[in-house]
Amino acid sequence: MTDDTGRKTEVTRRHLLQTAMWTSAAVATGAGSWVIPARWASAADPIKVGIATDLTGPIGFAGNANANIAKLVVDDINDNGGILGRPLEIHIEDTASNESVAVGNVRKLIQRDRVDVVLGGITSSMRNAIKDVIVGRGRTLYIYPQLYEGRECTPYIFCTGPTPAQQCDELIPWLIQNGGKRFALPSANYVWPHVLNEYARKVIENSGGEVVLEEYYPLDQVEYSATVNKIMNENVDVVFNTVIPPGVGPFIKQLYEAGFQKRGGRLSCVYYDENTVSLNAAHEWEGLASCLDYFRVLTREGDDPFSAKLAAAYDERYSGSVLFTAGSAATGMYRGLKLWEAAVNEAGNVDRDDVAAALDHAKISEGPGGPAEMVPGKWHCRMNMYIAVAKAGQYEVISRSPMVDPKEC
Amino acid sequence: MESVLTIGFNILSFSSIIVLVVLGLGVIASMMRIFNFAHGEFMLLGGYTTYLFYIWNMPIWLGILAAPFVVAFVGLILERTIIHRFYAAPIVAMLGTYAIGVMIRESVRGLIGGLYHQVPEPLVGFFVIGDISVSKWRAVVILVTILVVSGSYYLLKKTSFGLRIRAALENPELARVSGISTSQIYAATFSFGAGLAGLAGAMMVPLFTLYADMGVRFLIQGFLAVMLGGIGSFEGPVLGGAIIGVLTAGLPHLVNPVLADVLVFVIAIIAVKLKPAGLLSMRRE
Repeated sequence: MTDDTGRKTEVTRRHLLQTAMWTSAAVATGAGSWVIPARWASAADPIKVGIATDLTGPIGFAGNANANIAKLVVDDINDNGGILGRPLEIHIEDTASNESVAVGNVRKLIQRDRVDVVLGGITSSMRNAIKDVIVGRGRTLYIYPQLYEGRECTPYIFCTGPTPAQQCDELIPWLIQNGGKRFALPSANYVWPHVLNEYARKVIENSGGEVVLEEYYPLDQVEYSATVNKIMNENVDVVFNTVIPPGVGPFIKQLYEAGFQKRGGRLSCVYYDENTVSLNAAHEWEGLASCLDYFRVLTREGDDPFSAKLAAAYDERYSGSVLFTAGSAATGMYRGLKLWEAAVNEAGNVDRDDVAAALDHAKISEGPGGPAEMVPGKWHCRMNMYIAVAKAGQYEVISRSPMVDPKEC
Repeated sequence: MESVLTIGFNILSFSSIIVLVVLGLGVIASMMRIFNFAHGEFMLLGGYTTYLFYIWNMPIWLGILAAPFVVAFVGLILERTIIHRFYAAPIVAMLGTYAIGVMIRESVRGLIGGLYHQVPEPLVGFFVIGDISVSKWRAVVILVTILVVSGSYYLLKKTSFGLRIRAALENPELARVSGISTSQIYAATFSFGAGLAGLAGAMMVPLFTLYADMGVRFLIQGFLAVMLGGIGSFEGPVLGGAIIGVLTAGLPHLVNPVLADVLVFVIAIIAVKLKPAGLLSMRRE
């Protein structure tokens, strides 16, 4: 195990017990459902918050971070009197990194638990699988927290993670200045890289760069010598990577071994956060540039007291467990819950149309990485974006852009 | 020219990895007539052993040396407790080993937190020869593969132990009458195959990062290789592995990588269709 500083830690007994507890709870309840009522739940009719996220399966590390931060935020709201004098009751369902399992479990949130809002889903394929269950037949509000390829412009679906514009508009000109003009776009073959690359290509070309290689690979490919060979032969300056794990670790290693960084090449990957630091040795991803709405390093410099406070609260409650990061949608989950809280307070009830109307222009003054506000009529939100560069296995924030527009819908 | 050499080296190193994977699978399939669907997870255990040495701050090369023995031991225990019950029914053996594989995979996933972990190579970096750069660890993988393949060949073909294994395979009853304990031989063979998987996992984990599903893809390619090369001989699976490795690493130079991935299977399936018993079948029906 490694913690966010890349330091090695061991699997603690506490961690093991926690995991064992979760696992046995999951076995006991059968289908991975958890209901956590507020401590004063008997006082009033609770507002039900549904969380549908990938607690198990390949992206379980991200899903558990989402569930953790949701519990933290909901407890905090309950400790401060709930919303409209009513306590929040959190209903968690496992989407299991598997769309067909997810649809059934999300249906339970809607039909059995009759939740007032659903937050969750991490991959775009998951969002597409569960959105109709929630907003179509389910007539419920849906908040999607992950950075993604954009183009989700469905009424009652609000997206609280970064869009391609937020991740590319500042980063790509920076890459051209600090890397060069010849770009390669090696990518995993699924929807996010395809659509993101379409946007990235436009920004690259408008900023005076050119794309010399755009290739898609099977999701489980781990051998990248052919790609690396093309990148070296084409004299690529910047690798704008959307290959995902497990392929990305070997790819970056092979790129390093071919001497890409040594001859001045610049690596970039916009989903890289604190969870990915353990993928490669520090020298292999030295200089990698990422652009996200939050980096852990913000909490250490003392320049973002709110992020520091939030990270400390998270670590105290979930120490040794999964990390609170931007790339795993956990920051979007925080933002989504707090924006929804603001909207319910303004609407004065939990009716879907009233809350959606208020959420359309909801604002929060603080959150991980800074404030956030929905762009009216666009279902996406403005937020601060940061460019960070890897130095000796750590991120260093080198640029901050306040309240970047999502440019969607 | 430099480019051709680099490409050649990379293809050779990837083929070596596949050969190493296929070797253990081939030994068990050829010698015992069961397909071990937990082979990928034995590789994972080899990788995990190496990773444990790394996080316990012990030398990684020691982990790589220990991995085959640890996994061989796990294989031995599984053979004695569970797998020996399956020999009469190869289909049940497939399902049984698959179940064992899933249990190992999900346990490791829990232990590593579902994340991806790098394990540094014992030999970090690359040589630069002229204009080409050669990964040191990939060079080691090629050497180890050559050594292990020749060592296994010697063991199975030239020693009396190998003779007894082949005897137990070809005519178990006659072997038992001749005083060979076939159950011990099967246990040893399965354990040996598992150990080879552990070695393959340990050698490749510095190249491909440790993750719970690392065995799955290699298992499928391994099966393809065994089918292609033919069950029943030592050389068949090795040749099959080399061909699958060359195709997997080589085709993306020529065609779109997603197409290449499919093409490997298409070519192998056509080859198996043309030579159903495999390229080098020595099966004596």
